[in-house]
Amino acid sequence: MKFNEAAVFKWVVIVGIAGALIVAVTLLTRPLVGALLLLAIVIAGCVYAYRWWRARKRH
Amino acid sequence: MESASVAVGHGHADHHHHGPPEANQSSRIDRQTLGILLFIVSEVMLFGAFFASYFFLRVVVDPPSWPPEPFELPKAVAGMNTAILVSSSFTVHYALESIRRGNRAGLKLGLVATWLLGATFLFIQINEYVHLGFSARDFSFGSIFYSLTGLHGAHVFVGLMLLTFATIRAFRGHFGPKAEDHLGVEVPGIYWHFVDIMWIIVYVTVYIL
Repeated sequence: MKFNEAAVFKWVVIVGIAGALIVAVTLLTRPLVGALLLLAIVIAGCVYAYRWWRARKRH
Repeated sequence: MESASVAVGHGHADHHHHGPPEANQSSRIDRQTLGILLFIVSEVMLFGAFFASYFFLRVVVDPPSWPPEPFELPKAVAGMNTAILVSSSFTVHYALESIRRGNRAGLKLGLVATWLLGATFLFIQINEYVHLGFSARDFSFGSIFYSLTGLHGAHVFVGLMLLTFATIRAFRGHFGPKAEDHLGVEVPGIYWHFVDIMWIIVYVTVYIL
């Protein structure tokens, strides 16, 4: 895993896009829908991180 | 090789090395980057404690609406402030990409732009505090709102101090294209990105949801 400014900047872009999506959905619908989307993104992120960690461990 | 010759303490290698032997570095990342990584991990825990308090209060108080009835948060102004802070991540990234290519003017421009955007963010937030109409004394909502946004504001202030040092050094001709020659910008840059990510989370949680 690389840890430098460029890698952290990618996370700013990822979190920014996710945040913009949640803001848009919440303002267009209800806060509950936005909260559920946030939960779905967090779960998807955890699953992706776990699968990435497992794949890295195998190599 | 050098440390081995120093340990022996004889021969002409002694002429090249003065002072104590080089510190052992077993990690694959340099100690400055490792230091900021560990610091950010501790900061995530600190913010986590504040978010835990926020959600606890929100669930325990359980008002019919959030924020509770007399309180109102300026979503649009805070949204604009969010855009300002996120754009400052792009400028600090531009500054680092510039120095990696040896472009010193780009480094200076990027750092100055980042500093100005960060200062604007802080100014707007202080202005927002003045015009909100409630204080940290006003119920649990006021307390947790000011605690969470104030904690983040303090981090922006610290980030601005780090950027100030980096900008002064850049104008004095420090830093170079090699990775070890611009750590003085890389480490504040990582911290600044962390502050940006935390604000996106604070904004979505406190102002929007």
